Amino acid sequence: MNAPDRYEKFVVPEHLLKVEVRKDTKVADAATFVIQREDHTVGNLVRMQLLEDKDIMFAGYKIPHPLQYQLLIKVQTNGSKTPQRAVQSAIGSLEEELRDIREKFLADVARFGSGEESMLA
Amino acid sequence: MTDESAGKRRKKQDGKATAQPAREEPSLPPHLELQRTHVVAGADINANTMSADAANMFMALGIDNSWSYEKFLKGFQLRINKMDKENATLEFDIIGIDASIANALRRILISEVPTMAIEHVFFVNNTSIIADEMLAHRLGLVPLQVDPNLFEWKQGEDVASERNTIVMGLNIACRREGTKMINTDVLSSELKWLPEGSELPDETLCRFVSSQAEILPNGMAPTVDNILLARLRPGQCIHLEAHCIKGQGREHAKWSPVATAWYRLNPEVVLLQEVGGDAAEDLAAELPGLIVVQDGKACVTDPRAHDILLEKVRRLSSEERWAPYIQLRKRKDHFIFTVESTGILPPEVLLQRALDIMIHKCQELLKDV
Repeated sequence: MNAPDRYEKFVVPEHLLKVEVRKDTKVADAATFVIQREDHTVGNLVRMQLLEDKDIMFAGYKIPHPLQYQLLIKVQTNGSKTPQRAVQSAIGSLEEELRDIREKFLADVARFGSGEESMLA
Repeated sequence: MTDESAGKRRKKQDGKATAQPAREEPSLPPHLELQRTHVVAGADINANTMSADAANMFMALGIDNSWSYEKFLKGFQLRINKMDKENATLEFDIIGIDASIANALRRILISEVPTMAIEHVFFVNNTSIIADEMLAHRLGLVPLQVDPNLFEWKQGEDVASERNTIVMGLNIACRREGTKMINTDVLSSELKWLPEGSELPDETLCRFVSSQAEILPNGMAPTVDNILLARLRPGQCIHLEAHCIKGQGREHAKWSPVATAWYRLNPEVVLLQEVGGDAAEDLAAELPGLIVVQDGKACVTDPRAHDILLEKVRRLSSEERWAPYIQLRKRKDHFIFTVESTGILPPEVLLQRALDIMIHKCQELLKDV
């Protein structure tokens, strides 16, 4: 009845940015990243990658409400880089890692001998 | 002169930098290393389940736990174990990644890799006992053999066209022939592709400009042709038109390309101290095949080959007699990943698309951060 449209879950509304950075007004070198239309898949992934960075003091994520399709990632660094740079490098490393997984996977599929290789690009 | 000396200094620093990994080698004390790398299975609770991933976790011990691409490359392995064409199942080992990546991959496989499924059903006639909405729901769940990449998304107010909609028709009536009844079972094979588009364009508002035969030269049909959709008695009939669109599992499970996708941690059975004599024989009798006696001593064979005994190992490891000897552990960064496709796309293609989606997500986020 008053449920949001199903597409609300993954279509970013025009007036919103995919990622909005809110600087923390009380804590130095801290920021909250509001990511629209993403869930635990991205939240947990980015948080884990952030924690593996030496310069991160705090990283956490939450989904404030299940019907508001947004994700908050809170980051605090030790001051040697901005939270933005930390998040950028975390996502960059993730991308690098994933490309490598993809490459290795394709190589192993080829090794294993697949009949439908034409579908793999 | 100054340039040269600066160059020398830089070289020295470079030398130091390359020497550093060697200095990192002094690793954690064994009990902490076990906590970092393994889950220890106890009788009623597993210990050390959280992943040790904070970079400064072991800083007090002078150990750097931060992530680097080089470290990742060194530890990463991927090995395919099973690729079962008939059942569209793929099993592989993936070693050296964090649980969050394995989980993201699993979540994306289930809910974000797109497929085509029946979304709108227009009933011309339905005199069977199954209600329209029930039948429409059942139709939606039928997996369809089409590559979703050939089609566009149909969102919101988009008009149905040959580029975003596939039309299928179902027209069946049950009748008596002598003592036999014909068409009592309505199977998914009765769903017939209509490449020219809707036959009721005024009602369905779906008009094709050209035939879909060009996009789908091999035609399309449900992946399995013996799914029971409804049952009829003589005199009953079903006549409907089903419109398929592209979607994702997170909108409705009917678009999920996998029956299931799951992972588990690699099990390890460890003998904490030497087991000899009668105890070795008893242990081998308790865990046949998993524990064998060699030269009077108990040895562990391959735990992966004895999956059904692992829960027994867990139980034994809490019993007074065996607790000091045997332990069940799971490696935290070694995942046994299984993908069971619904048959729409082969699982290796699904996995590749899932990784592409994940990489695309990273790029989207990087754009705005």
